[in-house]
Amino acid sequence: MAKNVPDFRFEGPLEGGLFVLSGNLNAFTAPKALLVRFGKAFGGLSRVRLDLGKLEHLDLNGAAILIALMGNLGAKKIDCGVQNVPEHLLPIWELALKNHPSPETLREPEKPDVVTLLGMKTARFLADLRDLVSFLGETLTHLLGFLFSPWRIRWGDFFALAERSVVNAIPVTCLVSFLVGLILAFQSAMLMQLFGVEIFVADLVGIAMIRELGTLLTAIVLTGRSGSAFSSELASMKSNQEIDAFVTMGLSPARDLAVPRILALTAATPLLTILADFTGLIGGNIVMISMGHPYMVFWEELSGHVDASDMATGLFKAVVFGFTVALIGCQRGLYADQGPTAVGEATTRGVVTNIIAIAILDSLFAVLFYALRW
Amino acid sequence: MTQAPTEKMTPTPDPARPHPLRAENLTVAHGDSPPLLEGMNFVAKEGEILGILGPSGCGKSTLLRHLVGLAEPRAGKVILFGEDIFSEGNRSLARARRKYGVMYQSGALFGDLTLLENVSAPLKEFTRLPPKMIRDIAFLKLSLVGLEKAAFQLPANVSGGMCKRAAIARALALEPGLLFLDEPSAGLDPITAADLDELIMTLAKNLKLTFVVVTHELRSIMKIVDEAVLLGKEVRGIAAEGTPEYLARESPAPEAIAFFQRGKK
Ligand SMILES: Nc1ncnc2c1ncn2[C@@H]1O[C@H](COP(=O)(O)OP(=O)(O)O)[C@@H](O)[C@H]1O
Ligand SMILES: [Mg+2]
Repeated sequence: MAKNVPDFRFEGPLEGGLFVLSGNLNAFTAPKALLVRFGKAFGGLSRVRLDLGKLEHLDLNGAAILIALMGNLGAKKIDCGVQNVPEHLLPIWELALKNHPSPETLREPEKPDVVTLLGMKTARFLADLRDLVSFLGETLTHLLGFLFSPWRIRWGDFFALAERSVVNAIPVTCLVSFLVGLILAFQSAMLMQLFGVEIFVADLVGIAMIRELGTLLTAIVLTGRSGSAFSSELASMKSNQEIDAFVTMGLSPARDLAVPRILALTAATPLLTILADFTGLIGGNIVMISMGHPYMVFWEELSGHVDASDMATGLFKAVVFGFTVALIGCQRGLYADQGPTAVGEATTRGVVTNIIAIAILDSLFAVLFYALRW
Repeated sequence: MTQAPTEKMTPTPDPARPHPLRAENLTVAHGDSPPLLEGMNFVAKEGEILGILGPSGCGKSTLLRHLVGLAEPRAGKVILFGEDIFSEGNRSLARARRKYGVMYQSGALFGDLTLLENVSAPLKEFTRLPPKMIRDIAFLKLSLVGLEKAAFQLPANVSGGMCKRAAIARALALEPGLLFLDEPSAGLDPITAADLDELIMTLAKNLKLTFVVVTHELRSIMKIVDEAVLLGKEVRGIAAEGTPEYLARESPAPEAIAFFQRGKK
């Protein structure tokens, strides 16, 4: 970048379509306006010669600009060329000529059409499903193996993971559950007051929390907090080739990384669910108290209508959801692509898959329990 | 510190054409830890290829971070084209940043852009060229490093060596007067590495671009480097400096002997 060299200028057209270029031509000294003016000056000529003899400085960018201008003229069947390339600029000029793209190389690869795209998406979806099922099989095999040799589970990892992914989630889960209990009680109380049966608010909140909402809220919080952490952790291990190192050392990512996470979440989710249920009920009770009912009324009403089977339903689902959240979180992480966006993608896909899976499973359970008259 | 006879401690430079890079009494450190390198003085002259050599972990990349203004030196000055880059805080830094290009050790390509878009990015940001010309220029730069066939690929889908070459093409996009390259040929095959050396020499000789190259490759050092600064871990600074020939054959510094003699075997 030579200093003290005047900016790029051109003179012409002179006789025989001659243009005399001078100054310093690079990416900064040739703004669009100047190039447009330059292009206009070519109008109506059938022959153009660019004389570079007076050019003081030309870098590769400048040379590329000139070559592109000549390419435009060539496309319009105008006879064009350069002359008098100064000795000291010749190597750069030749380097630029040699490396200038041809129109064919510049053509972008074709984008697939809609049908191909649809097909690719479907294939991807099916492959995803297959991966998920095969990962489920792999983990179940390892879990079964551990059943016969429980001392081989990495208990240290298990407890650390349970603490990090569930115990640390207690505050947020309880807060959400408490507020949902409060809102639920408040909304239903408005309606029930009309009929003078506010007492049933206790049953509504109780059954809804214990059978359904406590479990669901816990699962969703864990999806966002712990399932996503599993996905991003494992995906970044994958893109750092740590997973490859694991495999080549003869270790199994599914057994040593995924199973402890799955066990931790499966075991701890029901406990977290119990806490969520309880704080939800407290939220409901607060609404009842604020409507003038004594503290114990809520619990007495509840004990008459909520039984162990409701509790069992919720906790059973909690076990299944804990397992699912960890399974899908780990699978998305371990099956992530490599590259800079892979971690984010794996995490998003993990969370989305989990939320869909939880919704589908919960609906299936609703039908199942109805059929079983539980 | 061993003073090479070839290095004439550069007499007062012509004020109209100051050296592209000048480090004055530069001391660099990470955060609050003790300084890695202390009291360094060196210059890179116009059209020169300055090699920064030294064993792994001695602070070459850290020094580079300071030279490009990503970290403020513990003491001393970094002067680019006659201007202290930290003299006026962010304003002098912003001015300095238009004058140089950097290739980071890891490539540091933007992951969501194709190689072509990566190289176009600085041109789009800083020039007022029409888009088609920017494309042509970016393509030319990729072709210079032998990547014309991979122009539409994402960095994630090409090899590490290709990413590295694309990063060099991006550093070259605006053809700034000063280029910092952190281990450009590490991880490249010998043929590509030799082509890259050729390219660097052509650009230095014909465009008078100045290169500051961190490198380990002895072959490449002997071929392209004009002046070298050899950093040492024990001396925490410049262990020896001079032309590669001097460092390889005559320098009495134990670091130079270790680097050039042992490295050969
Ligand atoms: N962010 C950091 N904080 C503290 N120390 C660091 C940091 N990055 C690197 N180091 C240390 O600085 C030293 C020099 O590192 P680096 O500049 O990368 O060496 P080189 O590029 O010469 O191989 C090393 O000893 C390294 O441990
Ligand atoms: Mg380094």
